[in-house]
Amino acid sequence: MTPHHVIALIPDACTSCMLCVRECPSWSISLDSHTEQVSEPGARRPRTINVLDGFRIDYGTCMYCSICIEVCPFDALHWDVGIDQSATVRADLVHDETRLSEHRTDQR
Amino acid sequence: MLVIAVEHMRWLDSMREAAADRYLCLDYLTAVDRIDRIDVIARVLNPMNGAGVEYCTSVGDGSLSSITSVFPAASWHERETAEMFGVKFVGMVDPRALLLRTPIGAPPLLRSTVLATRATAAWPGTAEPGGSPGRRRLLPPGVPEGWPAT
Repeated sequence: MTPHHVIALIPDACTSCMLCVRECPSWSISLDSHTEQVSEPGARRPRTINVLDGFRIDYGTCMYCSICIEVCPFDALHWDVGIDQSATVRADLVHDETRLSEHRTDQR
Repeated sequence: MLVIAVEHMRWLDSMREAAADRYLCLDYLTAVDRIDRIDVIARVLNPMNGAGVEYCTSVGDGSLSSITSVFPAASWHERETAEMFGVKFVGMVDPRALLLRTPIGAPPLLRSTVLATRATAAWPGTAEPGGSPGRRRLLPPGVPEGWPAT
């Protein structure tokens, strides 16, 4: 049986804009972020950027509706080939940013 | 797919006419909560050529004629629609609940039904980008104002 495709994350492309978190109909996504000041040569003032600290998708409640992929302005979320997502304990169905980015493969 | 809107009083007659026109197979029957009304939708198929027609009606006083006398397979769908949307099907052959082991007190797929988990769980979208607590009071999409969700 072909495994179900998964929603994968490219953490470097995520700007912590919260769109996916807010649009998810089943409240399956949560993220933590903080702001940092970045000084750039030639700029008069430092720029404030959001830095992603944590990103989680709860595959125990995700409906794979792909609304998060649709709303992501930077394509940080995308469909990827399926992996075995089964788990022996409920908590292991919550995939963090490390696991979500490990989904990335060259088979897309 | 052709969609035919019919008066709820003509629901059963419409199904009889569909069957007489060789639309002999019921594909599905379900309901949609349009907030100001409940629509019931049934799709029937002609098994000879695969053609399908969708019938749609607005439920008037919450009840609608059962179509199991025309399509016995509608029984399963009517049980589900009655349980999930609170539509009463007059003349249902099997009025037993289909999916919920114990009733939750309100039809769970009506938009007006508050889902217990939503009311008690914290919505993850309240924080602003950057992690600061939101200055605006945000509601999850699709949640009516005044919900106890946040």
